[in-house]
Amino acid sequence: MKKLKPWLLLGVFLLISLLATYALYADEAKITVLNPLGYSPPIRRVPMAPRLEALSGKTIYIVDVKFPLTEQFLAEMQKVLTEKYPQTNWVLRDKRGTYFDDDPGLWAEIKEKGSGVIMGIGH
Amino acid sequence: MEKLGKPTAPVITNVFEDLVKTIAFKKGMPDQRFVFVPHPVSGKPASTCREYLEGKDPITGKPVLQEIVEVLTKPLTEEEKKTGFIERPKPPRLAGPDTPENLQQLFLKNGWTDGLPIVLPTEEKVAEMLRGTSHKPDEMVAQMRPSPPHEAWEYTVEKVAINAVMAGAKPEYFPVILAVASTGVTSLFTSTTSFARMVVVNGPIRDQIGMNSGIGALGPFNHANATIGRAWTLISRNLGGGGTTGQTYLGSQGNNLNYNNLCFAEKEEELPEGWNPVHLQKGFKPGESVVSLFSGWSIIDNGGFKPYSFQEVMKRQSLSFFTSGTGNCFKNGVPDSAALTLLLDPLVAKDLKESQGFKTKEELGQWLIKNTFKSTWEYWACRPDDLKKAQEGVEPFASWLKLPPGALVPVPVFFDSNKPIEIIVVGGRTNPFWQAGDFNYIASASVDKWK
Repeated sequence: MKKLKPWLLLGVFLLISLLATYALYADEAKITVLNPLGYSPPIRRVPMAPRLEALSGKTIYIVDVKFPLTEQFLAEMQKVLTEKYPQTNWVLRDKRGTYFDDDPGLWAEIKEKGSGVIMGIGH
Repeated sequence: MEKLGKPTAPVITNVFEDLVKTIAFKKGMPDQRFVFVPHPVSGKPASTCREYLEGKDPITGKPVLQEIVEVLTKPLTEEEKKTGFIERPKPPRLAGPDTPENLQQLFLKNGWTDGLPIVLPTEEKVAEMLRGTSHKPDEMVAQMRPSPPHEAWEYTVEKVAINAVMAGAKPEYFPVILAVASTGVTSLFTSTTSFARMVVVNGPIRDQIGMNSGIGALGPFNHANATIGRAWTLISRNLGGGGTTGQTYLGSQGNNLNYNNLCFAEKEEELPEGWNPVHLQKGFKPGESVVSLFSGWSIIDNGGFKPYSFQEVMKRQSLSFFTSGTGNCFKNGVPDSAALTLLLDPLVAKDLKESQGFKTKEELGQWLIKNTFKSTWEYWACRPDDLKKAQEGVEPFASWLKLPPGALVPVPVFFDSNKPIEIIVVGGRTNPFWQAGDFNYIASASVDKWK
């Protein structure tokens, strides 16, 4: 046992040195970099409009946003909804211009005469 | 409409679920109710549309009609009634410490790259890049958004420097990159049509930083061309909020040109006399260094075909470049126009000036505008109202309808003559070729301002 002691001590010393060197090397290999992301704006919540108690007796606008070759879908939507919910007035309107354009006149009409809106459809 | 107090049921095709929910969230409507139908509906007959409407929402599995009614009538939840601001965690200033390998993976996983390894933006490298400009690191450069419905992000000089380092650019390129960033134009436009962009550099900066305007200028052969173009893509992703597929990028197939954005220097030294470089055409002065940005989709390589002159070949190729033009587009107020940008090897430019007599770029552009006519098939596709008139015997449409297949009607392809045809000279004189694309001009910015 006495003969083993020096070897044991040497072995422990070497092991500790190895671990210390590894730890040192591992720390040196790590770097810090800058985040490349820009700054996004704050988001203010837009409160949702109160919902309708019922559709019966109401006027619901169906707005075609004018994506090419989709008008038949909105036209069919008006037909189907009229069949299924005949007590509701389903009004189909084309938005002015292209799908890029705003239509304040239509929004004003809906605000005055409509109870709700369905809007569609891209592609 | 919700703001106007009207309950609204947006009906969307299902492939755009991520897009619409992302936009709704960023517009302050995280709880917006949607109804989805199968994609696409464009061009589908009424019977198919009815099937979709009487069928189920592909996302929720609920009957579509029932869902429309619920969106309009189901009372709001407490969450849906909330007001105020939505908290978004601010991105930390630093990333790490970690090994370079792990950081490369982090950047890739976070969608901060173009899929290729980047130069990691350590504080030392960014500081070095910032020495390429006299502007302060915290100076706001611009705002950028992927397309109009999306929110705009803003960014500082330092943020542009970080992305310039990532692209592998040198500090001497930084004023060019800042000039591009200052336009606020994204290189990764959202559209489903897969847009491409082009960057043309003019002025003394080209030689000062070793840009290529000769052999292989549009190819992967020059450090400045490669990294400046790449930086714009990274800026568009990281500073402009673009490039997140399904949310801020919807290009159905994508566009390979987005890797480098066709970044090159114009060969000003070999412009024929009287042919001005791009930056002069855009109102800048000789001696100024300028970047000019263009937008389109595709570019094709062309050579001459004897016995035709170069411009005759260009005329015929131009028929491929209408940027919109279905009858539906025209009916909806979108003019059926075309855009054209020509990238001419100096040999082609020389021939067009000396043999064909075009004294300026503008003369060539005007000649093409006046002499490039629509083919019959395109004309009737673009103008269904005129087709109806033709069928009713109204002239001149009725006579045009009698033209043989393959004939041209005397209506110019380049309908929007307010937009010039862009002509740029670049190349190394090894072959009289040119490249033509459906690009139009967007903006220019001074490089000198950012030195």
